[in-house]
Amino acid sequence: MQGQVILFQLLNGIGIGMIYFLLSVGLTMIFGLMRFVNFAHGTLYLVGAYTAYSVSLLTGSMWWALAFGPLAAAVIALISERLILRHTYEMPHEAQILVTFALALIFQESIILIFDPLAKNVPVPSLLSGIVFIGSFVYPAYRLAVVFAAAVIAILLWFALERTRFGAALRAGSESTEMVSLLGINVQKVFMVAFLVGGGLAGLAGTLSAPLRGVEPFMGSEALGVAFVVVVVGGIGSFTGALLGGLLIGVVQSMASSLWPEGARLMIYGAMALVLLVRPAGLMGRS
Amino acid sequence: MNISRRTALLGGASLLASPMIARAQTNKVEVVGIYSLSGTFANVGDLLNKGTVMAFDHYKTAAGKQINYTLLDDQGDAGRAVRRVQEAMGQGVRHVVGCTNSAIALAVAKEVHARGGIYIHMAGADEATGSQCNKSSFRWPGASYTAIRATLEPFMQANPAAKRWYTITGQYVFGESLLTNAKAVMQEKGLTNLGNSYHALSEREYSGYITAAMATNPDVLAVLNFGNQTVDVVRQAVSFGLKRNVKIVVPWCTGLDQYQAWGSDIVEGVYFGTNYWHGVESPGNRVLSEVVRAKTNNATNYLQACGWAVAQMFVESANKAGSLDVPDLTRAMEGLTYEGPTGTETVRAADHQVIKNYYLMRGKARSAMRDADDFAEILQATKAFMSPEQAGCKMA
Repeated sequence: MQGQVILFQLLNGIGIGMIYFLLSVGLTMIFGLMRFVNFAHGTLYLVGAYTAYSVSLLTGSMWWALAFGPLAAAVIALISERLILRHTYEMPHEAQILVTFALALIFQESIILIFDPLAKNVPVPSLLSGIVFIGSFVYPAYRLAVVFAAAVIAILLWFALERTRFGAALRAGSESTEMVSLLGINVQKVFMVAFLVGGGLAGLAGTLSAPLRGVEPFMGSEALGVAFVVVVVGGIGSFTGALLGGLLIGVVQSMASSLWPEGARLMIYGAMALVLLVRPAGLMGRS
Repeated sequence: MNISRRTALLGGASLLASPMIARAQTNKVEVVGIYSLSGTFANVGDLLNKGTVMAFDHYKTAAGKQINYTLLDDQGDAGRAVRRVQEAMGQGVRHVVGCTNSAIALAVAKEVHARGGIYIHMAGADEATGSQCNKSSFRWPGASYTAIRATLEPFMQANPAAKRWYTITGQYVFGESLLTNAKAVMQEKGLTNLGNSYHALSEREYSGYITAAMATNPDVLAVLNFGNQTVDVVRQAVSFGLKRNVKIVVPWCTGLDQYQAWGSDIVEGVYFGTNYWHGVESPGNRVLSEVVRAKTNNATNYLQACGWAVAQMFVESANKAGSLDVPDLTRAMEGLTYEGPTGTETVRAADHQVIKNYYLMRGKARSAMRDADDFAEILQATKAFMSPEQAGCKMA
């Protein structure tokens, strides 16, 4: 493979990886904090994407969709948490999987009933619809904008987690919820906000992905698979792990599509297996 | 007979519950449709089934008997499809229509043949009327050979300077079949095949494959797949600016529903091959379009047309035979000529393939669209079919 192509695939992999990061950071936060296995996380990505589709159809503007997509997913996450999921926190993982899987199916079928089973187009905002020349390569302007947006969100999230009181409570909660509770912090409220933020981020990933991949009712379950891989590779509960895991998986996938195209998808899982062999708790996880 | 998705599912459930679905009722004929209403191909199966339901709703009777249609959900699994068909045929059903993909059709075709039924389907793999043809099975659409010949040959004639080709192919039976046929045409025409990127069926991100294709500097990118993956590959190829200096050809496209999924900005200037187009002027298509418009207030898409076509073939053959017995139906079907969705269509007796038009289309600019569904123009309609001997059909 030529050097230029390698460089370009690397850049492309970073672009894919940043979307994977957005998709999985909420999942890792929720699992890290509550040890809660959320199989409905892909649904929030789905809700974000379909809200983006509906809003862009109604208003003709993707910019409105960027506001409403994450909001809709965050509200759905909050309602699900308050009405259903909080009752399952003390249950075994099997029960949590069953409940969240049922939720995912209900949302997926509802989307089919409301829209239809066919894929839909979400236009790229006209301001970002062109291509950018990087040396002799071209790269879609919208993809570059997504990388930039994801990087900004990563910085903001890092700041919120590392430099705020709430972030400290969240990080402490992922170590020991009992201890945090004894310190007088309302753990239920922390859980609720974690769901809200995690859901909003998954919705944002769905919204940003919609112009890249369109929307269709089964995109949630596909996204969930990748999100779990990223979380496992990065280390469960680690924000930095989600970022590194997303980038690693994105780059591996992109490189493999030139080196071994038919195995590109397989290489995602190959990379996961390799990381688990070398670091069983993931890149940034603690055993 | 107005069957909603929910009613159809309930019907499927009641089939499990009732041991006597096909209790002999002399004034009725039992027909089952085998489609994927859940699983990976549910988005395709749902619309195919709707087309079949609309056709039976329209025709109402076959050979003077009321049609009683029941949906069987195979959940996208060939093994489950066979089991569901076995159960239905065990209860006396002899008439089966539909499929959601080639693997399911090939498996069901063997089962229906072994149990003495008749099966009309819409599989895309060449084998269905080739090496795996049988006396009981009939196929409506043109298969991968037809798609490639009817699309690539006229495209190559119109674009003689486009000599360097790159292909992106879904790695499974149908994709392989498209690739084999495409390579054969390229070789015949002396064109350069720069390379091919296979991708897995579960893939959703194609930027890496597109980058690999761009690095070879091709004149043409051929996308060899079907369904949502085709939609994703073309969308991402266009977003990478490929249309500036590369022609994109999609030999197997489902037409309207995929054009809607892309939008006119992506469709413009791209070449497509398709089995059906709602704008075709023909008596059969007029009937179909009116029924679909009345039921859905929308133009007909390929999946609805496919579901309709297999049901229409059953009704036409039964009416010609004046009987619902399988041997009579099979005899009537062989050589049957009728006004179908693409014009006058004929069932070739030697391999049970329907001989019909396949269309090469090119996407229009938004400004050239006469209405919201007028995404593309037909450049050529071709009946390009492998001979039964070429296909290796030895009728069992």
